[in-house]
Amino acid sequence: MDRAHRGWKQGALGLALVLPPLLVLVFLIVVPAISAIVTTLTPPGGSGPTTSFVNYAEVLATRMLRADIGFTVTVTLVSVAVVFLLSYPLALYLRFTRTRATAILGVLFIVPLFVPVVIASFAMITFLVNHGLVSTILYRLGFERFPRLVYNATGIVITQVWVNIPFAVLILGAGLQAIDDSLVDAARDVGAGSLRTFFSVILPLNITSTMITLTLQFIGIFGSFTIPYLVGGNAPQMLGVTMTDYLTQYLRRTESATLAVIAFMIAAVVGVIYVLSVSRRERGERVVR
Amino acid sequence: MTVAVAIALVMFLFGVFGSGGVGAQGPVTLNVYINGDTNIFDLWNKSLLPAFMKRYPQYRANFVALLHGEGSQGVLDKILAAKQAGRTTDVDLWETQPSFVTQGEPQGLWVKLTTALIPNLSRVPTQKLVATDYYGMPYRGSSVVLAYNTAFVKNPPKTFDDVVAWIKANPGKFAYCDPNTGGSGQAFMVAAVYKFVQAAQFAGGTYDPKAESAWEPAWQLLKDLNSSMYNNGFYPNGNVAVLQLLSQQNVYMASVWSDMGTDYLKRGLLPKTVKLEQITPPLFGGDSTVTVPAGSAHLEGVFQLLNWVLTPEAQQIVINQVSGYPGVDWQYMPASVRAQFAEVAKPYSPLPNSQYLADMLRLWHERVAGSK
Repeated sequence: MDRAHRGWKQGALGLALVLPPLLVLVFLIVVPAISAIVTTLTPPGGSGPTTSFVNYAEVLATRMLRADIGFTVTVTLVSVAVVFLLSYPLALYLRFTRTRATAILGVLFIVPLFVPVVIASFAMITFLVNHGLVSTILYRLGFERFPRLVYNATGIVITQVWVNIPFAVLILGAGLQAIDDSLVDAARDVGAGSLRTFFSVILPLNITSTMITLTLQFIGIFGSFTIPYLVGGNAPQMLGVTMTDYLTQYLRRTESATLAVIAFMIAAVVGVIYVLSVSRRERGERVVR
Repeated sequence: MTVAVAIALVMFLFGVFGSGGVGAQGPVTLNVYINGDTNIFDLWNKSLLPAFMKRYPQYRANFVALLHGEGSQGVLDKILAAKQAGRTTDVDLWETQPSFVTQGEPQGLWVKLTTALIPNLSRVPTQKLVATDYYGMPYRGSSVVLAYNTAFVKNPPKTFDDVVAWIKANPGKFAYCDPNTGGSGQAFMVAAVYKFVQAAQFAGGTYDPKAESAWEPAWQLLKDLNSSMYNNGFYPNGNVAVLQLLSQQNVYMASVWSDMGTDYLKRGLLPKTVKLEQITPPLFGGDSTVTVPAGSAHLEGVFQLLNWVLTPEAQQIVINQVSGYPGVDWQYMPASVRAQFAEVAKPYSPLPNSQYLADMLRLWHERVAGSK
């Protein structure tokens, strides 16, 4: 009886602790999301409780918006790929090499994490514009013509990569820390080269961190606003900017909400991959125990 | 959310303490709510209000800043709530967007301004007052004008068609900002639209999306200009970015706000060879107005303040500080001021109403920027 009572008390305490974030989730995310979805399913003119996909058809029929959706997905995939290709070697280096240089590098790589995105964006603009440092160096090296580096997709990708590398390295590194040195040594002992060791031992053992990095980066970059707003061009634009323009500049709330739902569905696909990879790790751990 | 709450709290505190000084013996405190950017706050807080208080020591001013209109809805709700409760409001003067004034009109929230209340109102051109239904007093204005660098442009264009011809003849040397990011770009876009339609049809209060098909040739015109624009059709982000291109001589001609351009020239941020000029038909412009809530407890003081704001002394402060146009007719300004603004101080086109403007912005993005 006493134990049951204590159990109930603990349950109530747990509920009380979970309640504030739960209420925030319900009232500030779930309810507005549902009302937005209802808006998008109501045909313009809003006569009666009919449900239709006419808003979606209209949005997808607009060439400009299709271009924006495609642009957003492409820029996001390219950014994630570049971040991944640059941060994995860095994470491996920091994990498996122990020199003074590693220690310094380990502090340096994290710096972008402490620079606000707005400042990073403006820094990138000054760095990459027509008369900026990069252009001047390229020009001095004898390149008369080179592609524009800012106010387009290139600028967005460069800035996203700069901003996102620390986070990727931290997550990948956390996973790598958990790999037993002896496994790597064993692979080396039986004659595996660096690449073989990476693909046959390290990557499979670190697959959860890898998937988390890829999916979180995708969702973060996909939904970004500040960087594409400041560093991007006039058109096409990333969805964050397009949605804001439709809401505040063009006074078209329904189109904006429709775009948001489309963006959400794209992100949800990636979200499912994330959940699957995280839950697989948890099942795996249970088996080991 | 938290910002709105904080602003509401601040306004509440200001409300409580701001009206504390009211009494037969002490000076009367006027609560002045100003919407704008920091330059406008400085204009009121550091120049206009101190000068007013010096001249009329019986008044004190309590200045409330609404940065970029933040919290305006709250101010309107507050005035409305006071009216419905049959009480006075502590907002004595409000500078805000026309849309908020329009919202409060049916409830009779504002004082209809007349020369009986504010004698100097007779100096304000009538059409400016008509445009606000006599609910707003224009005290400063600006318009978009053409800026060009005389070092490179020997025969400046005089008309909009001349500008278009110049752009085609000098590819890459003209810029207007993305209309989504600044009024100076909007003005160029609107000028192209007004070339093919009657401005008055889209400036009034009516809205009919079907009429927008008449804009078609304008999008074609602007789209054709894409390849002759700066950087092969790149539209910079905001009014300031265009001024910077002009100052770095990346472009030789651009559309800019008269007040910003004048201010940049005054501060030496633009080459001395840059000149500002209005073209025909003119680019658009507008006046900033202040509105008096009918529920104000200090109407007499507010009218005193407004009457003073329209004196040459106060209007000179406006011109010196933000390079705006005066609210009063130019004839009431000294000859030196008229000479300074001679090239730009001409009539300007009206702004399209907000719904048409929103549609123009969307269509520009689809048909001009998105067509590359």
